[in-house]
Amino acid sequence: MKILMLGWEYPPHISGGLGTACEGLTTALAHRGIEIDFLVPKLYGEEDAPHMHLLGAASAAPTPEVWTDAPRQMPEPFAALLAAEPTLATDPIFIAAVEAAQAEAVSGTATELRTIRVPAMLKPYLDEATYQELVTTQKLLPTDVERMFAPESHPDLPGPPALTTRLEYAHVPGGDAPIVEESASGAHYGDNLFAEVARYAMSATRRVAGEKYDLVHAHDWMTFPAGVEIAHRAGAPLLVHVHSLEYDRAGQGADRDIVSIERLGLEHATRVIAVSYYTRKLINRVHGTSLDKISVVHNGVYARETVQAYKQQRKSTGPVVLFLGRVTFQKGPEYFVQAAARVLEHVPDAVFIMAGAGDMLPRMEALVKDLGITKSFRFPGWLRGAEIERAFSTADVYVMPSVSEPFGIAPLEAMSYDRPVIVSKQSGVSEVLRNALKVDFWDVDKMASQIVAILELPELRNTLIERAREEIRHIHWDAAAEKLVPVYKSVVRG
Amino acid sequence: MPSVCFYFEVHQPYRLKPYGALQVGRDHEYFDEKLNAEVLRKVADKCYLPANHSMLRLIERTDGRFRVSYSITGVAIEQMKKYAPKVMDSFVRLADTGAVEFVAETYYHSLAALYDKDEYKEQIDMQVGLVQKEFGQTPRVFRNTELIYNDEIGQFIADLGFDAMICEGADDILDWRSPNFVYKVAGREMRLLTKNYKLSDDIAFRFSNQAWAEYPLTADKFAGWVHDHSGAGDVINLFMDYETFGEHQWKETGIFEFLEHLPDLLFTHPHWDIQTPSQVIDRYPALGELPFHRTVSWADEARDISAWRGNAMQQRALNEIYSLGPAIRRRNNSHLLALWRRLQTSDHFYYMATKSASDAEVHDYFSPYEGPYDAFIHYMNVMKDLNLSVLAPPEKRIRI
Repeated sequence: MKILMLGWEYPPHISGGLGTACEGLTTALAHRGIEIDFLVPKLYGEEDAPHMHLLGAASAAPTPEVWTDAPRQMPEPFAALLAAEPTLATDPIFIAAVEAAQAEAVSGTATELRTIRVPAMLKPYLDEATYQELVTTQKLLPTDVERMFAPESHPDLPGPPALTTRLEYAHVPGGDAPIVEESASGAHYGDNLFAEVARYAMSATRRVAGEKYDLVHAHDWMTFPAGVEIAHRAGAPLLVHVHSLEYDRAGQGADRDIVSIERLGLEHATRVIAVSYYTRKLINRVHGTSLDKISVVHNGVYARETVQAYKQQRKSTGPVVLFLGRVTFQKGPEYFVQAAARVLEHVPDAVFIMAGAGDMLPRMEALVKDLGITKSFRFPGWLRGAEIERAFSTADVYVMPSVSEPFGIAPLEAMSYDRPVIVSKQSGVSEVLRNALKVDFWDVDKMASQIVAILELPELRNTLIERAREEIRHIHWDAAAEKLVPVYKSVVRG
Repeated sequence: MPSVCFYFEVHQPYRLKPYGALQVGRDHEYFDEKLNAEVLRKVADKCYLPANHSMLRLIERTDGRFRVSYSITGVAIEQMKKYAPKVMDSFVRLADTGAVEFVAETYYHSLAALYDKDEYKEQIDMQVGLVQKEFGQTPRVFRNTELIYNDEIGQFIADLGFDAMICEGADDILDWRSPNFVYKVAGREMRLLTKNYKLSDDIAFRFSNQAWAEYPLTADKFAGWVHDHSGAGDVINLFMDYETFGEHQWKETGIFEFLEHLPDLLFTHPHWDIQTPSQVIDRYPALGELPFHRTVSWADEARDISAWRGNAMQQRALNEIYSLGPAIRRRNNSHLLALWRRLQTSDHFYYMATKSASDAEVHDYFSPYEGPYDAFIHYMNVMKDLNLSVLAPPEKRIRI
């Protein structure tokens, strides 16, 4: 069987992101004799993927304007970042962020360093502005969030805004230049990303013109337009793979254009793959896609990701409770803080680390202050590389209180460091884990009780760790491929 | 003339409510009364009442040739009286037929045999007293919680004066021997009745399993399997949870029809009859001693005590509860003693098991919680509250 897979990055730039999933999945599929052409927006010549045929869409397209422009003045924070991490020079996300910042600089908007590493990296996964609006203007309360994610509060979305000029590219046969009209509001980053998506769809279609594939497999909304177009031209069935929905990231603040692209992909797909039952249900709720059309294939972990834990001597005095991730609405940092306040009544020397950055960080710092628990909190900001390893290795418990998490690979990472974990039930990963404590994200009393129990009961901690060590060995990409191949076969036959 | 011997276990624990760390020091109601009432009434409707009705009819229809034996734990009887008194009435009616034998066990369905022999004896005495009071019989036969057995337990029970004990017919214990004979406890005259786990589990576990090669199991087929043992054994011991009828195997599976037809089909072979445990030991000689080189139970694939003591959480919880014994007794308060004993019920520890595969499914089926870790957390929080709010010296007690 020969398939075309459409991805957004390869090799993985963000641990646990889409690139990681694509790497794991394609390796396991190749082992099962599936021949894969893997198409990404651009190749840099460093990729190592002997198990498949890696294609760069950009190589076939007239090089887009943005890539060829003479080097422009790089805003100072970026230059500093680049000096610290030279490898970023080839990171398309970084480049996009630079461009966005340049564009914004032109239009007079200042860009903070903080927003470079967060939204720039994560725009496909996170719509910062909408959160900000939600959080600062509406003062989200647990009950609001509950309501927001309850089925009845999701009236049908207004139909996709009649596919605007942004998407017209897909219907322009053989057009040589990307046809992307910038919105009236100017060239802010969001439009830039849509431009990238459009460009990718155009050049990808050209790149594989005339090739024969048994099916086209597209990962997440950024590749859906390309998938729809290519599958249509090649007369091949389309599989769209949903790693996360705009709704996971933004709740009701969802970007309508992204939602409509998601819907375009879902409607044109022969079959939809969701990374969890949780996501399957959400797709059905948000987009009305029939449950029968959606298969669930849980993510795996790479054996090499579940490295031997190395334990470090802890420096702080009290037990350490770790939150690690974006400090955004989706990740539920507020519930972590609320639980912390309750834990401290029972374990006064506990230390809470909220590692990461995001639009809710200032609010979390304020909340911690309001609750009078500043002394027990640390906000180290974004961690990377060795710092992440150290954070996991020295934590006594890792908590992922996400409000909505399509899968969530971080708990598996924590487990690979022999850390006990608590995950919210609103996460895909909770479906595959037996040896983790689970809690509704809003149930801060129970979350606190679980943290206290882990800190106070060595038997609980040790049993969780021992059993989890065994368990994560079974959560691998081979198992995912094993479920995916029959899905492939069913659409190819059909 | 070989016999079939039916023995059914009837038990319902007092389940703990989800008891979080934040409740410690504030909340001294540990049990989930609502859930316990709900479960008991549900099982009464699905199993106890219809099954007792069937048993009574079978006994009457066969003029007492159909016989059964039960062990009903003290904690189950307490809850029946409170939440479904009709069930107790129907057990009393069964007792009145004279075709029903009541077997003894610990009142609290506890693991005291493994931790505290004085406590063990007291709980047995309580249960014997209860059977005498409710059913007018003095039990001659004993079954330990979940058929947990080793030589030491067997000898202890023999020394209390029981005539026989019920145990699991585990392969590695029986070795070349057949479960279908009467044996003796190592070093004692007390008899052992060994469960024929294959035929018992055909009914209890496999009856409705459509993937099983023998599905569907008819009474006719099963009676044939029993008759195949003619000349090769004295007694086929069919021991199982009573909840098999209507609760583990739903009414829709045809389990009641199976039960209804089985006795007549067993009697179609002129040599076979149905006896209770006491009748079996009075009629058949013991072939010899059956030594147990390990502790055996009827639970899980392993047929050992790992279902209750297999991980560090379970061991901690068990050590914790039994270590309170002296302090509890010193308090000399009957309510506190009963509370402590309800916390000894083996189910609490069963819910904390971290088994895999098919064992885990069975544990999950019984557990009222979301998993073993929650079960352990709730239990330990209750222990903490018991220690802080009740057992601590008055000046150190938490009051809120």
